[in-house]
Amino acid sequence: MSIMNMVQAINHTLDFSMSEDDSVILLGEDIGKDGGVFRVTDGLQAKFGEQRVIDTPLNELGIVGAAIGMAVSGLKPIPEIQFQDFIFTSMDQIINQMAKMRYRTGGTVTVPLVLRTAVGGGIKGGLYHSQSGESYFVHTAGLTVVMPSNPLDAAGLLFSSIGYGDPVIFLEPKKLYRSEKIEVPDERFDVAIGKASLIHEGDSLSIITYGSMVPVVKKTVENNSLDADVLDLRTLSPLDVDSIVKTAKKTGRVMIVHEAPRTLGMGAEISALISERAIEYLYAPILRVTGLDTPFPYRLEDLYFPDERRILNASSKLMEYR
Amino acid sequence: MTEVINDTDEKQKFIRGYSAMVLYRALEKKAMAAQRQGRIGFFMQSSGQEAAQIGLSMALDEDTLFYEYYRDLPMMIHRGVPLELILNQLFGNRDDIAKGRQMPIHLLAADYNFMSIPSPVGSNLPLAVGSAFAKKYRNKSGIVEASFGDGGSSTSDFHASLNLAADLNLPVLFFCENNGWAISLPVEKQTKVEIWKKAEAYGMLGLKADGNNIMEVYKVAQEAVQHIKSGLGPVLLEVRCYRMGAHSTSDDPKKYQTDIVAEGSEKDPIVATEKILKEHGYLNDQMIANIRAESEKIINEKFEEQEKIPPPDRSTMFDDVYKERTWVLNEEEDEYR
Repeated sequence: MSIMNMVQAINHTLDFSMSEDDSVILLGEDIGKDGGVFRVTDGLQAKFGEQRVIDTPLNELGIVGAAIGMAVSGLKPIPEIQFQDFIFTSMDQIINQMAKMRYRTGGTVTVPLVLRTAVGGGIKGGLYHSQSGESYFVHTAGLTVVMPSNPLDAAGLLFSSIGYGDPVIFLEPKKLYRSEKIEVPDERFDVAIGKASLIHEGDSLSIITYGSMVPVVKKTVENNSLDADVLDLRTLSPLDVDSIVKTAKKTGRVMIVHEAPRTLGMGAEISALISERAIEYLYAPILRVTGLDTPFPYRLEDLYFPDERRILNASSKLMEYR
Repeated sequence: MTEVINDTDEKQKFIRGYSAMVLYRALEKKAMAAQRQGRIGFFMQSSGQEAAQIGLSMALDEDTLFYEYYRDLPMMIHRGVPLELILNQLFGNRDDIAKGRQMPIHLLAADYNFMSIPSPVGSNLPLAVGSAFAKKYRNKSGIVEASFGDGGSSTSDFHASLNLAADLNLPVLFFCENNGWAISLPVEKQTKVEIWKKAEAYGMLGLKADGNNIMEVYKVAQEAVQHIKSGLGPVLLEVRCYRMGAHSTSDDPKKYQTDIVAEGSEKDPIVATEKILKEHGYLNDQMIANIRAESEKIINEKFEEQEKIPPPDRSTMFDDVYKERTWVLNEEEDEYR
């Protein structure tokens, strides 16, 4: 065990995986000598060489497309997009090639890669360095989408993603990169893809969340002694529907908290799932506490995020609903 | 060009190449008629590009990996992809390797080193770069060939791929089949510079050849392959050929195309190839008549056979989205029960 923040945990997992398997290749902008703008890949090029940690030209489409080619030719590439905001020029490769390769080849050609990218706000990054675009990926058949909320899950989910066999979109909430240090095993361990984590138990209310909002929800629940189940989804596609429905049936009052904008966000899907499967158990409408349907603002970014006040307001509405 | 055709093996090579061109043309005629009759959903013609493709294919080794675009069926036929494998995909039937999920002519023949063809133009080029990296990284023999049209040379994928392949010094042959048209846009409106000249901007060798002259394409392609195999980096080879038909069965080129090449004219690459090979004593009229008659017979028989195969089972629709079906897919299948 070592005490690590999320950056260190991911770096450790990449290092460990590359040492074990020479088919693991990293590629991206500035990931070599610079170790990536967030230093996630720090030291790896020095250790594994320029053939395994490739500093590429500035072109996201090329990075993602080449990684797909590597994957179909037997390697396990881990491309990095510096900020998820810049992934959009590579969306044709992600949606039309990466996600569909298995299907369009009748299962004969697969794309075992992990596309890592930093998501969300919290670093004064303005509207081009702060977006939460998980819904774009979740909406696309063929992609597996994960988002850890702590160093332990980041390492375990990344171990599970490398060699998973399907393309995994690995979303790293940059706000959490250095916010917490906890114990992480030095050896390989897996956090199962598709399984949520119940991180707080209560009987009156369910709060379903993921990524950067997990610590905010956890702190709000603890500071205010809310009698709440708190579910950290960890995987956004496929969703852990059993855990979602179980907590909804248990408490009958559900709030969904995420940083991404509300419209067609994860909250909409989760709300629909609960409505279809457990509406007769509900005592109140399902509420969403989310980022705004605006571009991400620079000077007012603190106001953009769901916070304790908004979560408590929603909690009161749920509890007082008649 | 006589230096490349001075032995019997070369003669056989060209006769095989010509035979593949004729076999393809017979398939195209049958497929176009079948599309008009509603027997297959869609088709894209390659006529006009056969000599360019076969000339290239003759220069490539067995261990070449192909990233094609949707007009490369003649090359696939030349490399021995079975007609059954192709026709099953045109019909999208039960035996189709892609289980009837792709439009016709978006072919896959992985066992013959042909990767799957997507619809977005240029989209396969970055993948070719990645596969070339894998070959180099693993010290595997052979090069990667990536085809595209003149329209494809305008895509972001083209620029990203050439730049990255040159930067990493990868064994890729970028093969631009400039047939003069990207649907309704003539190549003069596509680019102000000859496409092969763009290679210099990326720091790689650029070559061009007359795509209607099978011997010239063969020779220039050999030069390209030698360059790549010597570790000197990727090559961009542009061949100028003709799009004799429409872009696809969904458009009418008479509305926009000014240089329609009639079948049987001297610009038809089959006619051009017959002329060249007859001049070299490789073909005569009797051989030509035999090859044409045999090709039509084979295609007619295969078409009738493969068309009888039923469509895929309904349940296959939910397979291969992921390595295992998710609960969502299981539930969606249940709605059909």
